[in-house]
Amino acid sequence: MSMFRRMRKVLFHPLQFMEDIRDEGGAYVRDIAVILLLTVCTRIFFLMASGFSFVNVKPYSVSVFLEVLWIVLPWFTWSVSNWAVSTINDGEGKFKDIAVVSAYVYLPYIVITVPLTLVSNVLSQGEGSIYGFINSFMLVWMLFLLLLQVKVLHDFAWGKTIWTTLVSVFGMLLVWFVAVMIVGLVNQSAYFVTNIIKEIGFRS
Amino acid sequence: MAIFTKAIRIIAAALALLMAVPMTAGAVSSYQGYVYDFEGNDIYSINPYLFLTSIDGTDMESGPLKGPEDLFIARDSTIYVVESGNNRVLHINAQKQVLGIYGDLEGDGALNGPKGVFVTENGDVYVSDTLNRRIAKFDKSGQFIQDFGVPESPLLPGGFVYSPSKLIVDKRGYMFVVSEGTSQGLLQLKPDGTFAGFFGANHVPYDWTRIAVRLMASEQQREQLSTVRPPEFSSIFQDAEGFIYTTTLGVEENQVKRLSAVGVDTLNMNGSQTYGDLYLPIRNNQELQTAIVDVSVNANGIITALDRTTGRLFQYNKLGDMLFAFGGFGNQDGLFKTPTSVAESPDGMIYVADQTRNRIDVFYPTPFAQLVHKASELYVDGKYEEAFRPWQQVLELNSNYDLAYYSIGKALYRQQRYKEAMSYFKIVGDQADYSNAFKEYRKIVIREQFGSFMSVLLALMIASIAIRLIVRNMSARKKRQEGVRTL
Repeated sequence: MSMFRRMRKVLFHPLQFMEDIRDEGGAYVRDIAVILLLTVCTRIFFLMASGFSFVNVKPYSVSVFLEVLWIVLPWFTWSVSNWAVSTINDGEGKFKDIAVVSAYVYLPYIVITVPLTLVSNVLSQGEGSIYGFINSFMLVWMLFLLLLQVKVLHDFAWGKTIWTTLVSVFGMLLVWFVAVMIVGLVNQSAYFVTNIIKEIGFRS
Repeated sequence: MAIFTKAIRIIAAALALLMAVPMTAGAVSSYQGYVYDFEGNDIYSINPYLFLTSIDGTDMESGPLKGPEDLFIARDSTIYVVESGNNRVLHINAQKQVLGIYGDLEGDGALNGPKGVFVTENGDVYVSDTLNRRIAKFDKSGQFIQDFGVPESPLLPGGFVYSPSKLIVDKRGYMFVVSEGTSQGLLQLKPDGTFAGFFGANHVPYDWTRIAVRLMASEQQREQLSTVRPPEFSSIFQDAEGFIYTTTLGVEENQVKRLSAVGVDTLNMNGSQTYGDLYLPIRNNQELQTAIVDVSVNANGIITALDRTTGRLFQYNKLGDMLFAFGGFGNQDGLFKTPTSVAESPDGMIYVADQTRNRIDVFYPTPFAQLVHKASELYVDGKYEEAFRPWQQVLELNSNYDLAYYSIGKALYRQQRYKEAMSYFKIVGDQADYSNAFKEYRKIVIREQFGSFMSVLLALMIASIAIRLIVRNMSARKKRQEGVRTL
């Protein structure tokens, strides 16, 4: 099955797609790279080519690095956090499956944002409600895929799915908090050590 | 040898040329003017005003100025200066000649720490005699006429302390007085000095933390909380049309207000506007707050506000759009120590009183400022087309002046040149106006291109039908052939 057909399956038959991955395998790690790359490209396209009525971003203020970070980081921490949380809660999902399917959650963003960006060039703010509606529709779609991923891959009931999702999101925030803290502490201690070395240098 | 003399001749010619060309007169200023762009960045601008001279009274027969508190410039360009240190009001002209002195040495006409002055059109001089808690009225010749003491009314709260500072007198003869420490509004006094009511009171600004504290505090704690008073006025000004402008201390926005006859603010119509600097230095972990202490408005509605926190002057047009900022603290000419009052004369000069330096600094507008004023006045009056050219000249002098781009965009929009208007709105990042212009532009494009658009659509439809027919035909033929083969 080619990647294009897999993508079509995610969009139009997500339940079947995820059940197949759970039961028969067939999650390709290379899909992650392609999806994330496409997402980053879409994001940059959105920032650069949107109509000025809707998006006011100066090219010099766009940092590709930050855009990549804000796409890859949520995906990665979500995968780790969701895997950890659901494993404790008797989830069946494997990390590889979770990572691949989580990356596919970005697919509606790619499919909707590209045409929406083009359309935003012929819309004025008066028609902003259409723009907003399509945007929120996209978010609902992504949320649906995310919930479906938790439900199908781990074979949960809906109640447990929602609970696990909330805990996973909390876990994500926890991971970020710990990461920021570790960076801060390492920074401080590195500063401390270099200062001590400097001081010894001055005194000897 | 011939080459040598030729070289000398060339050098001599070059020198002569250098002397003949007038050196560009560059006025060196002690401050750098700036303006905030639409995104809130402070962008350097050509200086709008430059220091001309200062009046300190040392070369005048009245002696040096002492503690100038308030300035009033009459229609004939003469200047009234309140000197709280000398307990008098000095009447001078721009040539530093003394025209009169108000305030007797003793008797009923003696002033004590006066803080404000207003002169009516027929020359009556009203002085708020702050420490004597009264308003003293003098005639044109300096003769004391009468005074208005502490107003009495059941409307005045208990423990009311009358401390009149700045004042104006309207055309009916009603006095509007700023009383320091009174937060209920301006005191409105009838021509005979009786209390007519409060006018144009400020409101207590909304504050989440205060509400949260109130909710959590117990009954006893609540009683101990200091009651929140509306911010008080610092100054008052009446323009040529009779509108009253006030300045308020201790607020972040709407520090300058233009009050209508019923006391409603007509300057900050779209909610809130920040006067003064957008970003202030931080002292003791807290951002300093702008303190607009005085305002002056010229006949064309250009507002000049004086900020005591930064020592800068800020100029706005009638709509409240910022035009310039200039000035600051320092010892050089053009900078201030404790600026107390600002006034603009009918010929466009700006006078600033400095209490600590005991002098009045005079600033003259540069051609750049005159151009911006002209363009802005035309624009505010709705003469967009006439304002077009001056705004372009402004941009030729200062291509970072956002208001010019915005105004040109508006003018182009009015002229139905929507595509050009779009590009100007885009420069200043104004999405709403861009979108409006775009909407009109889109209408025109669709109207113009409707024919070709429809024919393309028609052609596509015909093509798709044709393709479908051909495909169906071919697959039918294929099936027939397959059928033949199976047979």
